[in-house]
Order: sequence, then C-alpha cells, then structure tokens
Amino acid sequence: MKRKRSNYWYHQQKIAPYLFIAPFYILFVVFMGYPLVSSLIMSLYEMRGFQSRIFVGFSNFIDLFRDPIFWKSLWNTTYFALGTLILQLPLALFLAILLNSKIVKGKNILRLAFFAPVLVAGVFIAIIFNIIFDQRAGLINNEFLLFGKEIGWLSESKYVMPAVILTGVWQWAGFNMIFFLAGLQGIRQELYEAAAVDGANWWQSFVHITLPSLRPVIAFVVVVSMIGSFQLFDLPFILTNGGEPADAGTTIVMYLYKNGFQFMRLGYAATIGWVLFIIIAIISIAQLKLLGIFREE
Amino acid sequence: MGCFMRIPFDTDNFPLGKGPMVMLVLFLISCLFIISPTEEKGKNLEFWIFANTHYEEYQARVPIFETMYPEVNVQLINYGGTMHDKLLTALLSDFGAPDVVEVEITSIGRFLKGDINEVGFIDLRSRLENEGWMDKLVVSRFTPWSYKDRIFGIPHDLHPVVLLYRDDLFKAAGVEMTEVETWEDFISAGKKATRDLDGDGEIDQYAIVLDRRTESDYFNLLLQRGGGFFDEVGNVIIDDDIAIETLEFFTSLFNEHQIATPVYGTWHGDPSNFAAMQDGKILSILAPDWYVGILKSQVPQMSGKWRAIGMPAWELGDRRTTTRGGTMVGITKQCKNPDLAWELLKFAYFDKAGLINRYETTRIIPPLKNAWDAPIYKEPDPYLGGQPLGELFIELAPDLPPRYQNPYWSEAADLLNDAIFAAVTEKQTPRQALTQLAEKVRTIIAKDQERWAQGNK
Repeated sequence: MKRKRSNYWYHQQKIAPYLFIAPFYILFVVFMGYPLVSSLIMSLYEMRGFQSRIFVGFSNFIDLFRDPIFWKSLWNTTYFALGTLILQLPLALFLAILLNSKIVKGKNILRLAFFAPVLVAGVFIAIIFNIIFDQRAGLINNEFLLFGKEIGWLSESKYVMPAVILTGVWQWAGFNMIFFLAGLQGIRQELYEAAAVDGANWWQSFVHITLPSLRPVIAFVVVVSMIGSFQLFDLPFILTNGGEPADAGTTIVMYLYKNGFQFMRLGYAATIGWVLFIIIAIISIAQLKLLGIFREE
Repeated sequence: MGCFMRIPFDTDNFPLGKGPMVMLVLFLISCLFIISPTEEKGKNLEFWIFANTHYEEYQARVPIFETMYPEVNVQLINYGGTMHDKLLTALLSDFGAPDVVEVEITSIGRFLKGDINEVGFIDLRSRLENEGWMDKLVVSRFTPWSYKDRIFGIPHDLHPVVLLYRDDLFKAAGVEMTEVETWEDFISAGKKATRDLDGDGEIDQYAIVLDRRTESDYFNLLLQRGGGFFDEVGNVIIDDDIAIETLEFFTSLFNEHQIATPVYGTWHGDPSNFAAMQDGKILSILAPDWYVGILKSQVPQMSGKWRAIGMPAWELGDRRTTTRGGTMVGITKQCKNPDLAWELLKFAYFDKAGLINRYETTRIIPPLKNAWDAPIYKEPDPYLGGQPLGELFIELAPDLPPRYQNPYWSEAADLLNDAIFAAVTEKQTPRQALTQLAEKVRTIIAKDQERWAQGNK
C-alpha cells in the first residue's frame, strides 16, 4: 500500500506541472490555434452557400490586391495611423511632461480628466462626436467656426478621416499619456541635475536625457498605438454610418466585417484578416528596429 | 450543523489538494447545466427580433398566443442591430438558430447567397398558397422576400412612401402643395419655396431634403418609376435608361434646380436633421409610414405643422408612391416544429386586432388587405393637422412597386451609395457612375458563378 502511494506521488509530481499549464494551452488551441488555422484554410476557399464551399487557391489574395476599395480602406487606415503618430502621441508626451512638471497644480484631477475618455465606450464616443461634428448644429462648426465656413466633417470625403483622427486623439491621448508619465517618473533626477551642472538648458536635457530614457516606453506606445490604429473599427463605423460617403471612412477591419457578415464572403474576409496580420507584423517589426529595441546595449 | 452530510472521502487525499477538487466539482456541475436539456423539446419556439418596437408589440401579444396553445412556450429575444450577424453565424454553423426570426429588407440578400437549397429558411410558398393567403395580401410585397420562385418570409409591412411637407412654409412661399401632381410641378413649387430669407446670399430653406450618401432616396424614386437594381430573374438593370434618367433627375434637384439639401447628419433620422426641420430649413421629405412614427416620437413639438400628399408622379396619372424599408418573418430550417412556428407567424402577422394595435403604436400599415377597413386608419391625425394619414397610405398601398430581392443586394447597395455620391458631387456623370457600377456588380456575380461552376465539375 505504501509503495503504491509513493508511486502515485512520483507520477503526480510529473503530471502536476502539465496540469497547471494545461488550461492555457487548451484555451489557446481552442480559441486561438484552431481559428487561426481555420481562417488560413478559409482564405483559400469561398462559400458556395450556407453548407458548402469551393477551393479557390490564392485567387482571393489576387482579387484583394486588385480591389480598389481594399486599397482605399488601407489608405484610410494608414491615414489614421499616421494621424495617431503625428498628432496623438506627441500630444500625449506633451501632456505627460506638463503633468510631470512642478509648475502644474491639481495634477491628480488633470490626470483623471485626461484619462477619463478611455473609460467611455467607443460607441458612445462616436455618437457624441457625431453631434459635435454636425455640419449645421455641431459644436465645432457652430461655436468655433474655425475655418470661416461650415465644414461637412462627416459628409465631405476629404474631412471624414480628419474627423475620425480628431476623435481618436480625444479618446486615446490621455491613455498614452499615462505610459509616458510612468516613463518620465522612472528617469533618475541625478541625470538632470548633472546636466544642469554642465550648463544644459531644458531643450538639451529633453533631447539628450528624456527622449533616450523614454525609448522603451516610446517603442511600446508607438507599436501598441499602430496595432490599435490598424484594427480601427467601431469609431468610424458609427461615426460615418458604415464608411460613407464613398468609402471615405472605410477601414480595413470595417471592410473585413462588411465582406464577412454583410456580403457573406467568408473566404475573402479571412484573406483580408491575414493580409492585415502581415501588414501589422511588418510595421511592428520595422518600428521596433527603428526605435532600436533589438539593439544590444 | 448536523444537517450537513459529511463528504464520504478524505478530501486531503485528492490529487493537488482541496482547492483543485472544489474547482473540479464546480466545473462538472457547470457542465451538467450546459449539456442537460433545459426544457421539453418540440413545444418551445424561439423568436429572434431586431427592432425594439416589434419586440414591445410581441411582448404584449405572445401571452395571448400561449393561451391559445397552452403547450407552447414562446421565447422572445431582442438582439437589436447585431441580430443579423448572430443569425448568419448560427445558420453557417448549422447550430443555434431560432425557430422563427424577423429579418430586415437590406439584410435578407446575404441569407440567399449560393445554392438556393442551402438557404437557411423554409420555403413558405405552399403554405401561403394552400391556405389562400396570397390573395389576401399585397402580392408585390412578397418580392423582397422571394428568390427563385421560393418565398422565405411573410411581409410585416408595406411601407408606402408619401411626400411629407410643411404646409405653413410652402403656403408662405405662395405654393399650394395639394396642387402638385408631378415631379415637374414639384420643381416649379420647389423653386418658389427654396429661399434666402435674410438676404445674406445663403439659402435658408430648401424645398426637399434628400440623402446623397446612401441609395435611400434615389432608390425611392427608381422604384416608383418601375426600375430597380435587379430584375425579377436577377439581371443587373441599374444601367438601363430608367435608372440613368432617374439619377440625372436626382442630381438635378441638387445641382441644376438647387431645391434639395443633403440630409443633415448621417441619415434622415439623425437628430441634426430633426433640428433642421424644426428650424424651418427643410420643407419636405419622402416619408414611409415608419418614418412618420419616428418623427412623431422624436419631434412631437412639430405636431400640426406637417401635411402629406402622394409622391409627385413621373407622368400625370402614374404611380404616386414607392416603398422604403421592410421586415419579414421566416421559419429557419433548424426549427423542430415548423407547423407550430407557422401558427405563430400567422398570429403575429395576420391577426387583425394585432395589426390595428401595431398601427396605433407605430403607424405601420399591414399588408393584409382585409385589415384596412378598420376605422382607425380613417381617424384624423393631429400630427398632420387632422389629415387622416392612414387613409392616404391605404389609398396608395395597392400601387406599391415590386422590389426584387437578390443575394448581391448588400454589395450592390454599397457600390450604389458611392455611385450616387459621385454623381451628385459631379465627379462622374450619372451615366458613367451607373455604367461602371453595373459592370462591377456583373463582374462580381460572373466570378462567383464561374467558381461555382468549376466546383460542380
């Protein structure tokens, strides 16, 4: 009996670790591995009805590269990503620097205020900004009339993506500010003191101490923001009523959704998904390389 | 404490201890709940809905049905706007679809894709014909729910369209709208009523508001004229003369005659559009019955200011209405008791008392002709200054144009939106926009057919 027990413990010790990690692997295989492989296979097929499908090889990929709406949606998405990079992230860094400085009062309230938009669901933000961007009654045209004329933010093609970018800035700048703020607080004060002793001004300290020290945080925020930008869906979907006018607000994920669920072209939608994955992977690796994350210190 | 039973084995001996054992027990109990049949099979009907107003109506009506069929339990589920995606997934996976479901007119096309035998709805033609329902309903209203001779749903509504106008403002401009009979008359009237009131060089009131970003208003006009995107057998006809001339006319209202303003906001039901109406910037709108219901609930303060006439005709004596929007109810192939589901369909859609109640709450005119004699449709409508709006809708209803359904409607409508916008903004001529559009859609269809033909080899 005793021998049997020790044998049991021997096996248990061997098996237990695998049992502990099993839930992750089981869930990964069921919810990630299987759908990934399945979608890759699906991209080589097209539906023939609700119960049957046809093998089409790489035809979906060839069609996609010839599809003008795909290129338009890719441009719209890239436009948003660039807007994020050029407008949102510098603004987030500026806010972080401001809230990290000693001159600003009521930092906690301001932090909460800038972070708060992230707590609001994207759908509500889109609905609110729909009213704000309204051509006649909207807050922007009505109160500010910045450009001296009524701008059709959501009705003229050229203004649609800028409207989406501005909404994105309002929604996410505060969120990214928190990362920059954490990064800024992690920089050793001695570095600034030493620089001050050597006669460095604020700008020189910023360029030679703050920015290099923030490099890992910048890399993280840039990569995560880019991935988020390329996955943009709910905001323009509601703000532009499904991408109108003339697909000016259609993003890649929106086009994927339209093909999969509205046009019942599951194979084509899977193809868009895989092409999007490749685009995001290339951009992320390029950014990490550019920001020197792979560089050995 | 004595009432608790002692666990009949030593919990310490369980591999990995007590914690994992508790988790395992909970897991097994959860599994039992999931896999065990919850209710008696065959007597339950699951009914999916996407519209709140319909859901509220059925919530009140289903208990009556359950009294008539005591062995039946109807489960109403309102999934809102995501319902069609859920239904598509359930039909594709051949699991989890409801017994009975309502589908919206612009969404049904995707459910008809591919092999007709694989469509997830039961063909209701024989039931409708055998029980004599076809003669009792407006037959053109079956076209949105039919494909290749099969009828996949019963129409919930007719949705005839009228021209809703601001009587006070047209009269102030010296126009009597009841005298408008054709679109030509409307243009003359519109030119008088479209005005710069304060002399600042900008137009303050437009004769009509039209949506140039989506197909809605253009398609209203096209259907009124007897055109469409697809014909009865599925051919693309969006580049025929009727379609091109109609788009030329539509663009001329904005550009040449300058009597139309683009919709404020994203669609006719946008708060900005209602605001513009209240400000007197919009003098008329093409309104289906359901839109009048929305208008009443969203801008009750405009009560008494509107009147309605039939749409201006293309030629004197021609059709004065069109149709916009719609819903069907169908039975899915996953339904285990289609006969019972059929009874529920008839109760929900063909019961006269229910249809009168529907008109009271939503202003929706039913497709069942013998329900039209109810006094409620003749009642004066205070929102329209006492005009009996129901009577006008019923007068127009028999002349409703057919709206042929097609599996490619979603793709076609998406591209049609772009074509209309390009034509109105003068990036393309109406002919160029529609010719290119038709070619694109024909190419999509031809490619699919070619693929499916290869798959059959």
